[in-house]
Parts: sequence; structure tokens; C-alpha cells
Amino acid sequence: MALPQDALWYKDAIIYQVHVRTFYDSNADGIGDFRGLAQKLDYLQDLGITALWLMPFFPSPLRDDGYDIADYRSVHPSYGTLDDFKVFLEAAHQRRIRVIIEMVLNHTSNQHPWFQESRSSTTNPRRDWYVWSDIDTKYRGTRIIFVDTELSNWAWDPMSKAYYWHRFFSHQPDLNYDNPAVRDEMWSVMKLWLEMGVDAFRLDAVPYLVEREGTNCENLPETHTIIKDFRARLDREFPGRMFLAEANQWPADLRPYFGESDEFHMAFHFPLMPRMFMGLKLEDRKPITEILQQTPSIPEPCQWCLFLRNHDELTLEMVTDMERDYMYDEYARDKGMRLNLGIRRRLAPLLDNDRRRIELMNGMLMSLPGTPILYYGDEIGMGDNVNLGDRNGVRTPMQWDGGWNGGFSAADPESLYSPLMLNPVYGFQAVNVHSQKRFEHSLLSWMKRLIRVRKSLPVFGRGSIEFLYPANHRVLAYIRQLAKDTILVVNNLSSSAQAVELDLRRYKGNILIEMFGRNIFPRIGDLPYLLTMGPYQFYWFRLRRI
Amino acid sequence: MWERFLNEMTQATLEIVHSIARFLPRLMVMLAIVVIGWVIAYILKYTLRSILRLAHFDRLSEDAGATQFLKKAALPSSTELLSRFVFWVAWIGFILIGVSVLGIVGVEEHIARFFGFLPRLFAAMFVFFFGLLAASFFSRAALLAAVNADLPSPRLISSTIRTIIIVFSVSVGFEELGLGERTIVVAFSIVFGALMLGLALAFGIGGQDLARRYLERRFMHERREEKEDELSPL
Amino acid sequence: MAEETILSDDFLRELINVGEVDILVGVHTYNDASTIGPLVQAIRVGLLKYFPRQRAAIINADGGSKDGTQDLIRAASISDLQHVSRLQALRTLHSISTQYPGGPASGNALRTILAAAELLRASACAVISPDSIIEPEWLERLLRPVTRDNFDLVTPTYRRHKFDGLLIRNLLYPMNRALYSRRVREPYPPDFAFSGRLASHFLSQEVWSQEVGRTGAEMYVTISAIVGDFRLAQSFLGPKSRVEHAPADLVAAIRRSVGTLFWSLEDNFRSWSANSHSEPITTFGPDHELISDPLRVNRKRQYEMFVRGVSELDTVLKAILSPPTLAELQRTATVPEPDFRFPDELWARTVYEFTAAYHKSVISRDHIVQALAPLYRGKAHTFLLENRDSSAEEVESKVEHLCQEFERLKPSLLEMWDGRK
Repeated sequence: MALPQDALWYKDAIIYQVHVRTFYDSNADGIGDFRGLAQKLDYLQDLGITALWLMPFFPSPLRDDGYDIADYRSVHPSYGTLDDFKVFLEAAHQRRIRVIIEMVLNHTSNQHPWFQESRSSTTNPRRDWYVWSDIDTKYRGTRIIFVDTELSNWAWDPMSKAYYWHRFFSHQPDLNYDNPAVRDEMWSVMKLWLEMGVDAFRLDAVPYLVEREGTNCENLPETHTIIKDFRARLDREFPGRMFLAEANQWPADLRPYFGESDEFHMAFHFPLMPRMFMGLKLEDRKPITEILQQTPSIPEPCQWCLFLRNHDELTLEMVTDMERDYMYDEYARDKGMRLNLGIRRRLAPLLDNDRRRIELMNGMLMSLPGTPILYYGDEIGMGDNVNLGDRNGVRTPMQWDGGWNGGFSAADPESLYSPLMLNPVYGFQAVNVHSQKRFEHSLLSWMKRLIRVRKSLPVFGRGSIEFLYPANHRVLAYIRQLAKDTILVVNNLSSSAQAVELDLRRYKGNILIEMFGRNIFPRIGDLPYLLTMGPYQFYWFRLRRI
Repeated sequence: MWERFLNEMTQATLEIVHSIARFLPRLMVMLAIVVIGWVIAYILKYTLRSILRLAHFDRLSEDAGATQFLKKAALPSSTELLSRFVFWVAWIGFILIGVSVLGIVGVEEHIARFFGFLPRLFAAMFVFFFGLLAASFFSRAALLAAVNADLPSPRLISSTIRTIIIVFSVSVGFEELGLGERTIVVAFSIVFGALMLGLALAFGIGGQDLARRYLERRFMHERREEKEDELSPL
Repeated sequence: MAEETILSDDFLRELINVGEVDILVGVHTYNDASTIGPLVQAIRVGLLKYFPRQRAAIINADGGSKDGTQDLIRAASISDLQHVSRLQALRTLHSISTQYPGGPASGNALRTILAAAELLRASACAVISPDSIIEPEWLERLLRPVTRDNFDLVTPTYRRHKFDGLLIRNLLYPMNRALYSRRVREPYPPDFAFSGRLASHFLSQEVWSQEVGRTGAEMYVTISAIVGDFRLAQSFLGPKSRVEHAPADLVAAIRRSVGTLFWSLEDNFRSWSANSHSEPITTFGPDHELISDPLRVNRKRQYEMFVRGVSELDTVLKAILSPPTLAELQRTATVPEPDFRFPDELWARTVYEFTAAYHKSVISRDHIVQALAPLYRGKAHTFLLENRDSSAEEVESKVEHLCQEFERLKPSLLEMWDGRK
């Protein structure tokens, strides 16, 4: 099934992030699978999303949630077979849903045959597929990412009596990208999936591909060269497919990953997300506007990926110490909610399950420039379980209805991959798709409306942004513009009603049409445009000259 | 003859009786007017006193230093004084109206003059009274200002101002009363007074800085000796 | 009847934009461009450093400056429009300015600041004098007792030169302490902080339309907080600067401070007449600190003006003072300079008789207050002379002695007040 030929499809996309394991179990073994996911595609189509981002589903010892891949060319048996995947892919494409899969370039599992060969002897042909050293003092300028679990970026291998380099867990040895054989092998892996019909890759941990002494081993020029090489091959052989970068960096450091539109198509905007939460808590737009002011412009075909929550902790790496302390105190008073440099919680509990704040945050997500990503379950306001270790608290089974296992699986509850949410606030009997579908005012119904309005105009995905700076700092207002479409977005970050005066003289003569109710607001004149806004209220206005 | 005598007598008696009969009602009317006048004057006095009390007239005259002046003269408070004055003026007015009813030839003219004179008397009293108040107030203000600014001869400045203001108000008062034979003197007083008052005010209010600079220059040699550091009282 | 408004429409619009705040710092200015720059910088740094998470605003009430003072203050704003990269700030900090009605007077300014504080529902406010040279720490020292310990009024204590603030140590502190029974070291505070509760209380007072409200508001703040039974504390700030301004006008200073103190006694008789002894208030840091650099003071001039005052003001003093007190004063004034001393007892008695005379309005009240100036100079002279070589402790013990004298003689004031004497 061929999808419409639009090379820039990702700019208008609304991405839904899901792990196969968490969504729906079709064979009652307690673990979600591709057949189950395929059955729930109608739900996703109804929600209005246009792309699905699947977390790693490759064979893996699952010591890092699948990011420790043991075989790049197959599907983990718990999730089904490669044929199941192909069926799912076809079904998704039929519903005009594109599929983005993970590609972990930087490292493999230590169970991967490549590593097993590499460590077997110093003379093995695959020995230099990984980064080996006799001493553990090389690349000392390199920070440790998982500060809570790892002490060094080097790990001792007793079998080959040498240290191997790992930026993440010690069971994830880094591949040696200075070796052309590694690069060719990885491309052939990607090619396999592209030929199957996969629309895009989310490339994991890209800044760390190459190591050089005397640097911090991040964002090195050699790394960019490798990415450019992959991109050139992609454009040549599979036009219309897409690379999405995962690089938790400051915007200015991220900018090079777009290159001259010859590296990544898209990249996550990591620093924006914590600042949206911070702005909301401070009732002050300053953190949001400041980070967007510091965000460099990117080439025309490129796009930022925006998200509120994902499968990882709410990362606080890209904030100052003062800001991090503030975020911890406001959003994770309980130390158990903190992990590494972040907060491992879902959207609804972070926002005290306050519907108005959830709506406002989603409203901003959908109206700021970039492609929004929804994390599964957040569209119905699912909760988290901080008692589960690592980040598993935000990876509990999808809550479909109030019945057996929340409709996720027919297996015994004890055999589920993860316990279900059971508490009376966020448990599956209180929060589930089935009950929310029945009501017009449910969060799910509201999200559908929001996505529908967002999709009604391409300006949200492709338009320019210009901030208005009303003197009332609790109000975040901006103009999105594309060709003849002009949208005014006004967000009240405050928990109290606000009056705001907007300088809209440039648009004098236009009338405002509120996009959800399609009501007409007064015409813009010479005076500052006065709006009054309820607590956490936001408006999307379409400007029209009639 | 006797008959004529009796006739005349009867006639005279009748005339006396007639004139008494004619005069008696007038007297009664006069007395009535006097009594009613007393009542009205009393009410007037009472009302005025109440109004003045409400308006804190005593406080006003206190602030102006009049209380002190009245105390020295062993007079009651200014409110009391003013209302008593009004009482007497009103009653005397009524008595005079009563007398005019008697129709005594020549008196009426004087009474008319009295009433014509009354407003001017009031005005003169007013000017004189407030002149005194102002003199006392401003002379004390000048004295304090001069002492605090360390000006030479504060008392001279103070009494000059007092004299000028009193002369000024007295001359204006006399002018009001129409006793302005020595108009030239009064005019001179007015001009002189205005000039001096202006100078005093200018020096006292507008010229503080000038005065300070003058003093600083005067005490410059003294200051050099001690090389004073400025102290802030607060 | 439409209430007179003290907030202009433009200012109100700015206040709407500032919105609700936790901390408000008020600065009143009048042609202070030369000093205001470092002052607002210090305030801003203090707020960012010690109250980074609180919503704060700097509100300037200006008396009609023509030298760009207001622009300097507005420039201290931190917003996403004018980014200051050196400063790490979580929040927007508004620094706004308005010209208050009624002409330059600190009381009018304070009223504007109070009105803003009430509208913005500030829970803690600080007022900083434009003459102060402050450190960022001052913000914490002033505001922390309000935000953390729920005090309603925090008055300052300073490190002062031992000859600085003589009117405070020789009259305001002892008398205020004796009458209102609270040992507030700086009853006429240039810099102070107060709670939102107290701000609303001040604002609702009837004092603002009167002369006292215009010029003596700082003194009134202390008194009305004591009388209203609010929680008082004082906090040590640091060295009090002696800004080289035009020579301080003693009469104006006495009018503002002593005049207000005298005036306040009328309405608060029930309050101050009830207590017979004073109590210390909570103090953060030392309650006084003195430095004694050599200072060349024209002591002789103080003496001369005292002597001249006593003789020239004979008629005025006669109206105010009792014959024995006047006689003693006149006798004292005949003593030649080196041996001249103004005894504490005589000074306290004199001040109390002035107080009673003020109450009874024996002459114009303003004249009574003015007549105190030359006598104060005599007391100041004695203080300068006696403490010429004194250490800080000795100075303090002398101040304490005077305070006790004022407290001891308080009953005599009460007698005079009732007219029994």
C-alpha cells in the first residue's frame, strides 16, 4: 500500500509513541504484541494520529527496555514474528499511519553475536567493531550519563582482559564507528527495514558515535560525517523516508545535526519540555520564550519534534541547577519520583490530574512550531507507578476498559509484564478508553477535537512563529503564519483569571475567529487588543480579513 | 375766668391724656420690640456660637495665636467674644428701632446713621481682630525661623513684622470706619508695610538658601578652623 | 461620591501586568538619578539571590523627577523582552515606576506603594530609601523575618557613626520607647519591611490626607504598628551611609519625626498611657553598632545656637514651659561652653512639657515643634562633648540612661496631659 507522496509528511504529522509490549496482548501471554497493536490501529486512526513511533522490538536481553539489541534483523519472540510485523505495517499504512521504528546505532547488547565475537580474542576480525582499551583512563573528558548506576564509561571484560567503552549501561558496549565495516553493516540493517516499508528511523543516542581524545566525545565532526553518509544513502535509495535524531543537547548544539538539510530531518527539542512545565508552575512565560529565543533557525525541510512526556524520565539535563532544584521541589518532592537527572512521572500526575492544565499543556504542544508526539496513555490521562523500578512506572499496560486486566490482556494478572494501575484515581477502572469514548467532555474526546483542529490547517506544522510580548508575563502569545493563514495563539499560564493587552496593530482590520467554537471576536483596531482569560485558558484564533 | 381756666385745664388735661394715650401704645410697641429684639439677639448669639464651635473657630484663633492675646487681655475665648459682640450689636439695633417708633424728632436721623455705620464697624473690627492675630502669628514664626536659621537680631525682625502688620491692619480698619483724614500716612504705611512684609517673606521663605550662604560665608573662617563634618540628625 | 484615586490609569495597567506578587520592594524617589542605579541593581540582585522563586516586583513612586530616575528604575526589569544574560532568573521581574500625585513627599510615595502592595496582594513589602547605599543582603535581612517568621513590621538597625542620628538617640528612640513601650532602635526608619496585613492596615488609616501622612509617614508606620499590636522585629542591615546631600535641615527633620510623634499621642492616648515600662522587641543581629572614627564637628556652634535660642525665644518658651523648667534652662544657658552640660533629667522634662504644650495647643503647634530645635542643639552639644572619647559601650550606656530618664518621667507627662499640673 503506497502512502501519499509528500516528502515533508513529517512536518504535518502527529506522532503517537508506543511500546508494542504495553499496548495490547492478542495471545494471552501477558505481553503486548504486533497482532494486538494491529487490532488497535482503528482506535489510533480514530484518535487522529498520523504516525506511530515504536520503541525497540528487536531480540534483546531487555536490560534497557530493548535499547540493548541482540539482533537487528528480527523481532523479539514475545512480540510476534517478522511476518506479524509486516502484517501490522501493511495495516497501518492502509490507515494512512506511518511507522517510525527505533534504530540504536551507538551500541549493542553485550549479548549481540558481534560483541561475543569481538571479546572472544584480540585477533578476531570483529575485534575492532567495538572500542577496546588496555587502560581505563582514555577520554577522561567524557561525562557519565547514567550517574545513578554507572561509575565509569569503561568496563572491564575479564574474557579478553581489556576495557571496553560504553556511554550508557555497562552491558551496552559502544560500536566503533571509525570502522567502515560497522558503518556498512548498520546501513544494511536499516536497508532491510526500509525495504519492508518502514517510514522512518528514530536514531538513538547519536551524539556519542565517535570518540576522540581531548574532547568530551559528544557531537564530534566525525559523528556528523557518519550521519551525512547514512542520509545520502537514504535519500538516494529511499526518498520520502525520514531520520529522527535523539540527542539530548542544548538547541545550539543540536543545530548541526540538521546540517544543511543533509543530516537529520527531525530532532527532539529536549530543553523546551521541562521549561513548559516550569513556565506553568511559575505562572511565567519567561522560561518558554527564552528557550525558543535561543533556539536557532533550522533549514526549511527540517522540523523540531515536541513532546510533553515520553518513555524516559522528564529530563532535567538541559536546565540550570537553580531551575532543576525548582523543578524537583515543585514536581517531584518525593525523592522516589526522581531518576538520574529527571522526574519519572506521567503527564496527568505531574499536573495534579488538573484537566485545565492538561488541556493547556496539550494546547501548547499542538500550537508551538514542531511536530507533536503523544505518549501512549496520556490521551486518556493515565497515571504512573513510582514503585516500579527505573522508568517502568510510566510503562504500565494501556487501559482499554474497566474489565479483566483493563482490557489489555486475557492472561492472569500475575503473568502481565507489568502490574496494572489499580488505585481509585488513575487505576484502569477509573481511567480507560472505553468509558472516555462514551462522553463528549472526556479527555479522550477533547484530545480528538484538539488533533482535528490542529490538522485543519498546515500552518501549525509548517508556519513561522512570532512571539508577542504582552506586558502581562503570565500570558504566552504568539502568531503562527503560513502563506495566507495567520493564527493567533494566546495561553494563560496562570491559575487565576488574567487581562492581557495584545499589540496587534499590524493586523488591523482583521477579525478573530476562535477555532474550537468558530465564534467571532471583535475586529482588531488601533488600540491594544484586550482579552480576558480564565485560569489556564488558551485561545486559538484564526485571523481573517472580511 | 375760672370757667375759662377750667376749660383750659380740661383742654390741657385732655391733651395730655390724649398724648399719653397716643404715646402709650408706641411705648408698648417699643418695649415689645426691645424684648423681641433681646430674644432674637439671644438666638443669634446662640446660633453663632454653635456655628463657630462647629467650625473650630477657637482652634483657628489658637493657631493664629489669638488665644494668647485674649488671655493676656483677660478676655473670654474668641468664640464667646464674637458671639457676645453680635448679641449686643443686634440688641442695640433693636432698641434703636424701638426708640424710633417713639417718633422723637431728631433721633431718627442718628439711628439711621448708626445703622449705616454698622457694616463698616463690623468690617473694621474684623480687619483689626485678624490683623492682631496675624501680627502675633507671623512675628512668632519669624522669630523662630530667624533663631533656627541663626540670623542676626531675631527679635528685631520679629517685632518689626509685628509692628508693620498691626499698623497695616489698624490703618485699613480706620479706613473702613471712614476716619481716613490722614490718608497719606495710611497710604505710606500700606506701601511701607507691604514692602517690608514682602522682604521679610522673601528672606524668610524664599531666601533661606541665600541666608544660609550668607551665613556660611560669614562663618567661613570659623569653619576652616574646625573643618566641620555634616551630621545627619536622623 | 467618587473616591479620589491615587493610581493613574497607566500605573494601574502596569500593575495588572505585574499581577499578584509575594514580595514587593518600594522605592520612593525624587531626582535621585545619581544614586538610584546601584540601588535598584542591589535590590534586584538581592531578590534574585534570596527570593529566586518568589514572585517579586520593584515599585517606584516618583515625586516628579526630571533627571531620568524613572527610566533607570524601569531598566531594572527582567523579562523575556530584555534579556540580561549575566543574571540567572527563574521569573520575570517587573520594575515599574509611577509619578504619584500631591508633590514630592515621602508619605505620598509610601501611600502609592501601599496601594500597589494591597492591589498586588503582596505578602511582604520592603521600602528602601533612595539615599541608602544598600547591599543585596539587606533585602534578605528585611524581608526574611516577614516571610519566614510572620513579623508584621521589620525596622532596621544600622552600623552608624556614634555621632550620626543624634536626634534618634537623644529624642526619638528614648521618647518613643518610654511612651509606646517598645524598644525600637530606629523608630523613624529609612528602610523597613512590613507584611501585607500591616500594609492594608496602614492604607485604611485616615492619616494620608494630613500633613503628618505626607511628611512623617515613616514615623507613623512604626507608631501605628505598635498601637495596632502588630508583631514587631528589628533586623541589623549594615553600615548606614551618610550620603553627601545638602546639609540636613534640622527643623524639617524635627517636624517630620518629632512632630509626628507629638501628633500621634492625641489619638493613641489610651494605648500609650496604659504602659509603665518598655519591652525589647525581637532583634535579628546586633540592635546597634557604633563606629567612632574621628569626626570634626562644630560643637561650639551647637552651643551658641542653644544659648541664643533660649534667650531670644524667651516669650515663646514662656508659653510652653513651666516656670521652674524655663528658669533651669536659662540658668544652664549661662554656663560657658567648656562646662556646659544639658542634664538628661532636664532634657526629658523639657521634651515632655513641649509634648503637653503641643497637646493643649498653647500656641501654634508648628511653632511649638520649631521651638524645640535650638534646645535640641544644646542636648546634642552635650552628647558630642560627653562622648568625644567614649567607646561604643559607653555611648550605649549613656543612651540607656537617657531612656530610663524618659521612662521615669513618663507619669509627669500623664499628669500634665490631664491638666492636673
